[in-house]
Amino acid sequence: MKIPMKSSRRENLAAYVFLSPILLFFAIFFAFAVGFSVWISFREWDMLISPLDAVFVGPSNYVVLFSDPLFVSSLVNTVIYAFSTTIAVVILSLLIAVALNNLRYSAVWRFIYFAPVVTPAVAIGIIWSYLYNPSRGIVNEVLGWLGIPAHNWLTDPHYALMAIIIVAVWAGMGASILIFTAGLRAIPQSYYEAARIDGATKVKMFFSITLPLIKPTTLFLSVTGMIGAWQVFDLIYIMGTNAPASSVQVISLYIYKTAFVNLQMGSASAAAMILFAIVLVTTLFTLGIFRKGGIESYE
Amino acid sequence: MRKVFWILLLIGILASFTTTAKTVLVIQTHWSDFQVNGILDKNGNLVYPGLKQYIDEYTKLNPDVEIQIREVPFDNYLQQLLVSHMAGKAADIYDLYSLWAVQLVNSKILDIPPSDILNGVKNDFVSASVKGATIDGKIWGIPSEIDNYALIYNKKLLTEAGYSEPPKTWAELIKMAPKLTKYDEKGAITQYGFAFLSGWDSAVVHPYLSLLYSLGGAMFSADYTECLVNNPLGVEALNEELALFKEKATNSAGSVFDFPHNTVAMMIMAPWYVSSLKQAYGDKYDEYVGIEPIPPVKNPATVAYTWFFGVDNASKNKVAAWDFLKWFALQVQPNTNTTRAGDLEVNVISVIPPNKADLENHLAQLADLKVFIDQLKNSVQEPNVMQGAQIKTILMDQIVAAWNGQVTAQQALDNAVRKINPILSRYYH
Repeated sequence: MKIPMKSSRRENLAAYVFLSPILLFFAIFFAFAVGFSVWISFREWDMLISPLDAVFVGPSNYVVLFSDPLFVSSLVNTVIYAFSTTIAVVILSLLIAVALNNLRYSAVWRFIYFAPVVTPAVAIGIIWSYLYNPSRGIVNEVLGWLGIPAHNWLTDPHYALMAIIIVAVWAGMGASILIFTAGLRAIPQSYYEAARIDGATKVKMFFSITLPLIKPTTLFLSVTGMIGAWQVFDLIYIMGTNAPASSVQVISLYIYKTAFVNLQMGSASAAAMILFAIVLVTTLFTLGIFRKGGIESYE
Repeated sequence: MRKVFWILLLIGILASFTTTAKTVLVIQTHWSDFQVNGILDKNGNLVYPGLKQYIDEYTKLNPDVEIQIREVPFDNYLQQLLVSHMAGKAADIYDLYSLWAVQLVNSKILDIPPSDILNGVKNDFVSASVKGATIDGKIWGIPSEIDNYALIYNKKLLTEAGYSEPPKTWAELIKMAPKLTKYDEKGAITQYGFAFLSGWDSAVVHPYLSLLYSLGGAMFSADYTECLVNNPLGVEALNEELALFKEKATNSAGSVFDFPHNTVAMMIMAPWYVSSLKQAYGDKYDEYVGIEPIPPVKNPATVAYTWFFGVDNASKNKVAAWDFLKWFALQVQPNTNTTRAGDLEVNVISVIPPNKADLENHLAQLADLKVFIDQLKNSVQEPNVMQGAQIKTILMDQIVAAWNGQVTAQQALDNAVRKINPILSRYYH
């Protein structure tokens, strides 16, 4: 049946009217903000003058960034943080979710693991700072029982980033475990029963049934985890202030300090654009890897 | 008849607007709640007035003026100032850290004070604070606070270690500190002979500058075209700090804020921390806390920094703003011979008032800060340089890297100078 042209136009108009609030919100808080950020990244602006009077400096903000050793070390720290937290969270969450799935009172266990998710990152950072305290913290105390010498976890440049990564993994696992559990429950039990009849071991079933069928969930958690990890700010801000900046500082903190301490909005915006490009490339790369494995659903 | 009614109504409305129109001033401060609202006793009675009570007094005297207080935490102060300025919601009066003010002066955000205020500042305030409020050769406001540094030590811990007196020289301090340091069986320091504080630029850079000035060094060339910290005096100053790390009398995990736990024997700290120590120790304050000038490496010296009241150049009520500041921070009250700002600074905020009259007439209340006040004569004002906060952060990062053994003193300061000089070259030629 052919829809009359007038009615179709009216429907389109109605759709745009309904969409207009979100489009307006998107235009102001995303499109304008991103556009302004790109524009200002080619200028020198300290927020004390009108942005219209900001001097055009071409690509020099981008060039200067890569000659700044602190930006480079922030970039390296961000890469280490993003990959290690994402990989550790995904692997550990999957293993724990599989284990919890077969446990009695699994809901109680899931609740325990989920608790850090509803705790503010600032509170987590402060509590863990106490746990890591070299003389009064429980971490050194427990390691002492095992004969391991005490370390200054949050100030020693060799350990500070690793100490924060451990906290990030602990805090990030809860939500992933919950999502993995939902994914595991969606796998039909008949597959496992058939495999069991064929004499497959639990390890064989994990690698041949669970892992392939849980791939969409793994992809989702990898991509969202990676995007979040690239933008980490709060934990580093709370826990990393006493370590040498080059050993813990990440890009988002570098952007914040460049913008609001150094008042160099142009350089900060250029760094933000670089972060955006990295997140985009990493996400596409992750999607590419999973597509090779046969997942199309998130494209 | 109806026409007359409407005309009368219109006149009435206009009249009510003209009679109620007030000059509204907004004052932005980093002071906390009790400093704004005053100190109350257990029954809720006002013991010492805060900023609000002084404003109430002023608005009673000047009913055509209304003053609103904008409290902003120290950590967000500069950001809030920038954002509110950009949004056209700037305050009329600021209490400013002098290092931040340099950028504001450069961007023409601050108003030049009237000549009577300039003369008052020149004549009535201690010279270090006048230097603090001076940027590019001009005074930009009325000093509201001056801070310098001294050695704060734990008398009990020193006595326990067999010392009846604090160190008189930095070399003595380096010798004493290891004997005041205790480790547990796991190898962690449980008592710091000397504590630094990493992670806060002022807490890292100011003690270093105090040692640098003691050696006769300078942070910048006189025209600010060059950073000088990597010259031999600058390196020596940092090596004097690193000696404490080599002697295992401290590490970068220490904190000056652990002093009230009796786990820090000595530290370099500012006068504003003394009120917290008094609160923490209560009656035992004199038994535990001792304050002496920073033991000199060579000559007595300490660094100082200043806060001052300034007025926004874009304010529509600049005259009214300066009038209030003159009444509040410059005029001496006949009954006490002190300024109202001085009373507030001494009784409530617990800092050194920069006005000479306040220093002379608040002697009893300032007894705990006597060493700091005596050291004003040896205080060198932190340089008011463009991008000062950024430069301080760069220097902090490098000093902390040296504390952690990542680089030597020379390498750290070379790295700092390599980053600081290009910044200076953008503003000074």
